[in-house]
Amino acid sequence: MTHVAPSDGLKTEFAGQRPRLFKLALVASFWTVLTLGFYRFWMKSRLRRWYWSSIRPGGLPLEYVGDPFEKLLGFFMAVVVMAFYIGVVNLILMFASLSLFSTSFTAYAASLVGVIPVWFYARYRARRYVLARTRWRGVRFGLEPGAWGYAGRALWHWFLTVITCGILWPRKTFYLEKYRTDRTVFGSATLHQGGTWTMLMPAYVHVLIATVALAVAAGALALENETVAMVGLVAVPYLIFGMIHYTVTAKRLLANHKSAGDVRLLAEPKVGTAVRIYVFGYLATILICMLPALPITIAVGVIEMEKNGSIYSSAPNTGEIYGLPTIVWTVLGVIAYFAILLLWSVLRHCFVTMPIWRHYAETLTIENADSLSEVSQKDRDEFREAEGFAEALDLWGAI
Amino acid sequence: MGGNLSEKTIINVDGPTDLTAAPRVVEGQGLFLDGDRAAPQQVRLTYDDAAQRLVLHAATATLNWRYTDLRALRDQAGDDTLILRLQHDPTARLVVQTPQDRQLIRARAKRLNKRAKTVRRGRLLSWAAAAIGSVALIIFVLVPIMADQLAEYLPPAGERALGDATFEQIRTALDETGFDGLATCDAPKGLAALAKIESRITEDMDLETPLTVHVLDHDMVNAFALPGGYVVFFRGLLEEAETAEEVAAVFAHETGHVVARDPTRIALRSAGSIGVLGLLLGDFAGGAVVLFMAERIIQADYTQDAEAAADVFAHNALLAADLPPSAIGTFFERLAADGGDHSGFMEHFQSHPALGDRIAAAYDAEPDNAVFRPVLTDDEWAALQSICD
Repeated sequence: MTHVAPSDGLKTEFAGQRPRLFKLALVASFWTVLTLGFYRFWMKSRLRRWYWSSIRPGGLPLEYVGDPFEKLLGFFMAVVVMAFYIGVVNLILMFASLSLFSTSFTAYAASLVGVIPVWFYARYRARRYVLARTRWRGVRFGLEPGAWGYAGRALWHWFLTVITCGILWPRKTFYLEKYRTDRTVFGSATLHQGGTWTMLMPAYVHVLIATVALAVAAGALALENETVAMVGLVAVPYLIFGMIHYTVTAKRLLANHKSAGDVRLLAEPKVGTAVRIYVFGYLATILICMLPALPITIAVGVIEMEKNGSIYSSAPNTGEIYGLPTIVWTVLGVIAYFAILLLWSVLRHCFVTMPIWRHYAETLTIENADSLSEVSQKDRDEFREAEGFAEALDLWGAI
Repeated sequence: MGGNLSEKTIINVDGPTDLTAAPRVVEGQGLFLDGDRAAPQQVRLTYDDAAQRLVLHAATATLNWRYTDLRALRDQAGDDTLILRLQHDPTARLVVQTPQDRQLIRARAKRLNKRAKTVRRGRLLSWAAAAIGSVALIIFVLVPIMADQLAEYLPPAGERALGDATFEQIRTALDETGFDGLATCDAPKGLAALAKIESRITEDMDLETPLTVHVLDHDMVNAFALPGGYVVFFRGLLEEAETAEEVAAVFAHETGHVVARDPTRIALRSAGSIGVLGLLLGDFAGGAVVLFMAERIIQADYTQDAEAAADVFAHNALLAADLPPSAIGTFFERLAADGGDHSGFMEHFQSHPALGDRIAAAYDAEPDNAVFRPVLTDDEWAALQSICD
């Protein structure tokens, strides 16, 4: 066994196996559907425990200690704030909008714009919660408070990105990552994000070229020049490749410029591997989902035709269809819808999320790990709100 | 040693038949994380079955972990590692990676798979109650009070815009084809008949904004008012009414709500939420919310005072126009008697306990020797009933 700090780098192992994840995700999603979504706090905790324990830098797994009850509590707190926002703030906005502009549109726009900073705020808070509940070698990670600072910077960098038609996207990536990393701690050690935003620029070239090509194709389509518009057929897959290339390369470069004292990271994820995982992973997910989805969709179509007599009929048939009341068919349709949704999320875990995490983990080495032994514990971050806002605004899909 | 050790086999192997011989000591190994330093320590493990505890021999100290306090981390990936913690210690961990030790520990620590209690969950219930209470307070007290106050100050143009937006939302919500909203009925002769009823009732009134009257092509037996002078009938109500006077009576009642600005209060309550909720929740859940809100506006949960005031307004307006207030009474009586599915409209009236009183009031409002002029000719009435054809 090689866990006790060899003087060179600590390799990361990934212990997760697909069958176990499939079972865990399937059971948890099933309960989530059955409890009208309330089990999702438990599902998230369980899946995170599993993913975290899969990742073993130097042979010792990460530990996730987040509790589902604190997530539920945080959700309640966020719901109260959101209810106030949706009820009272929107009412005032609506009154002002109707009085001043004689339209309700201004109020909707203002209300949505008002949610954007909260959205960034929530993302930072959620990250803080997750890091506060993550441990390695028995020591807590953490993120220092700074959610409004993050929201302000995120707004500014998004603004720059939008007015430059997306050219400054890597600048946004870098500075937001730097803000988060510089506030991330592992016990008594503070992380530091080195490097410059320009180092990410070369990785972004594919995206830029593909976007220009798409714009040309769209313009050609508008001018009915079909030969030139064929560029779009190449540009779309090229753009997808470009985005994966950028994501993986940016992660690698950013990781390689992270440090905590002497300790450094060496990340070597491969773009080719990531492309393969995304393409074949989603292909597998879609194909397996189609097995039950296809007959169900046909059945739903037939029932709907039967229910309405024809598509354009205005008098729906409320009696029986094939010997069963319409309501039974409606319930069956809803069940089928959720079954496919459930299958999709479970398969995506097995064929996309897990393989991607595995690849990032297995290509990560911690260098100069000796001085990690000097790191000592930090205090517990109570953080009662947990990730309530992120939950209420539905920021995180699966985990 | 083989992989088949259990509590019993250990005792059989190690519990010597010769009781005077010293028992063989079983030793294991693990990695100890003290929860203070990020430095794993190799520890020697021994099993003190007499005292029912696991002994961790670290370089500097010896720790005794009681079997009953041992808990395994849950939902861990990989079967090659067992991570132990103590029930009441949030940070210290013992990582066990040899199959033999895992088996020895599993055989002894019977509460391994129970939950470790670290988070205080007692507060959760009170928080949940507080959350539900606050949300209810916001929705049922704060928002209605604010909406009622703000409705007084809304300028006519704003009221009109609110009515326009609400009318479109209701049309969209009630539409079943999902294309461009429920159709309005506009057969020219029918519209002319409707305009005749309108002018008959409102000709002597000093309305802030002119009324906008629509018929929606839906078989619900209902009518409602919206901010900015909207009075809207459903086709179902026109078909269910037996005389034009009954329609005129409903018309006068809804005009009473418009004049009192009742719909403005109701619409303002939900207007803030309706669009944003739809946008936040997305298509699947959002659509249901918008439909629910739209139904609430149609059902128009006015207060009993507001209904009574609209009734009085209607009686006076009808008498002033030489029309019988009793028509509303006959209409409700017939709907109640034939027991059909008029749930929306009747619930709206029945939810107020004084329906009988209100019917009686409608009859009482009619002077004994009153002489009435018909509101429509037979042809016009027929045209109004077939306005959607």
